[in-house]
Amino acid sequence: MSAPAGEVLGIAVLSLKIALAATVLACLLGIPLGFFLGWTRFAGRRILLALLNTALALPTVVIGLLIYLLLARRGPLGALGMLYTWQAIVVAEVVLALPIATALSAAAIQAVDPRVRRTALTLGAGTLRTAWTVAREARFALLAGVVVAFGRVLSEVGAALMVGGNVRHETRTLTTAITLATSQGDFGLAVALGLILLALALTVSVLIQLLQGHGDV
Amino acid sequence: MATFEVTALRQQFGGRAALSLDALAVREGARLAVVGPNGAGKSTLLRLLAFVDTPLSGSIALEGRPVASAADRRQARQRVTLVEQRPYLFRGTVLGNVAYGLRARGVNAVEAGERAAAALARLRLRELAGRDARALSDGEIQRVAVARALAVEPVALLLDEPVSGADRAAQHALFEALAAEQARRPLTIVFASHLLEDAYRWADDLLALHQGRASPVTPENLFRVDLPGGAPMQTVNVGPLALDVMTDRQGPATLAIPPDEIVLSTEALHSSARNVLRGRIVRVAEHGAAMRVTLDAGIELVALITRKSFEEMGLAVGGTAFASFKSVAIRVF
Repeated sequence: MSAPAGEVLGIAVLSLKIALAATVLACLLGIPLGFFLGWTRFAGRRILLALLNTALALPTVVIGLLIYLLLARRGPLGALGMLYTWQAIVVAEVVLALPIATALSAAAIQAVDPRVRRTALTLGAGTLRTAWTVAREARFALLAGVVVAFGRVLSEVGAALMVGGNVRHETRTLTTAITLATSQGDFGLAVALGLILLALALTVSVLIQLLQGHGDV
Repeated sequence: MATFEVTALRQQFGGRAALSLDALAVREGARLAVVGPNGAGKSTLLRLLAFVDTPLSGSIALEGRPVASAADRRQARQRVTLVEQRPYLFRGTVLGNVAYGLRARGVNAVEAGERAAAALARLRLRELAGRDARALSDGEIQRVAVARALAVEPVALLLDEPVSGADRAAQHALFEALAAEQARRPLTIVFASHLLEDAYRWADDLLALHQGRASPVTPENLFRVDLPGGAPMQTVNVGPLALDVMTDRQGPATLAIPPDEIVLSTEALHSSARNVLRGRIVRVAEHGAAMRVTLDAGIELVALITRKSFEEMGLAVGGTAFASFKSVAIRVF
């Protein structure tokens, strides 16, 4: 599998697109959910948090299998015809990233100084402004959660391979391309793709450190 | 009209009673000091009066209107503001912090900024306006938090240990600013303190709390002890000292030595008083025509004596004095 530079660029762009879409969707759902779990007290909350922490360790091949069975032609969502499309990978990666975004958001909100809520309340803030103030105080921890979710999605291979099918020009991502190149003995290409992925991952980790550095201020 | 009227107020945390107050009325424009040792329920009471916590039972009326529902409390919070013992400043500038309450009330950004700057100026903090709120000293944080609370012009300001950790000049500046605010407009102030000097120097009314309840005696010279029992005249260990006390009780108890029952002298008295302690004078505060003298005798004792006696004996901070009191003067509860 030798690939021209244009194709490699296409693979990198698709990987980024999938990772970004999955991260945005997971965070749109996960941050409000995590905020709710970290903010409110209700019966069963601890059990939910425990389940959520278990979901963090969900094997990606299991997620891949579940989404495959859902989207397969004879599956419940087979009519959508999504299997082996990049959107299918996004769905699988959202399932993977959702527990991360939710759990890290819940932890970020729980870690906010209890004085923040009381201070906002005593200064006359309503429920929404108080919640917004708490989120603002936790913004670096929340952002770190987003970046962790992004990094996880970007580097995932199992589910992407199972529901994306590694179709050339369509669902081939950096990780699935590396897997294929390695199996075909094209180590030069595998290493080159790996370096691109590493560069992206490095960017992510630098971003986390920058954010955490800010968080100390 | 009373700013606060409290009836049968109860609060508990983790099943433990934290506050049990049968009645309290705080009149408009009052300066009420809530005094008591750590854990007496001062902060609990302030958070209930600030309507940021919900009581287990009982009621609080604000300006004659009962505050019962969550909606009532939300409205009441528009008129009462609490400054916590360790105030929290939000990320951002000092000015942004002080404008927060105004913005929460729908005041536009320009006007909120102007009014916040004016509040800072009243606390003599104008130069801090543009500073990062996270880069302030503890004393500055305290004063900015007071400016932030005053910016919304509340009918009542609640302060939890407002001068803890502040030096004397900062304490004085804060109380001056609060007095100026009260001269400017109607404002009820309730402040908690574990230092009685603050209360006597500055408050015009006093609520003493002890283990969550209004205490019948002022809470100075309060000591937790373990009474040995056995005889009506008991010798009990208080810190490094042994005091004689008349009581039939046995086991854990609190001793209170009323400050006006303590006789100060420059030499040891030979009298009927069973307890004579030698100590060093560590603080002196004026209390109307009287003087409150704090003596470090291994335990801190506060004695109340006339100014005349104080001057005639030539007492001063750093000097030595003897405190004498009868065993029957010690109250046990």
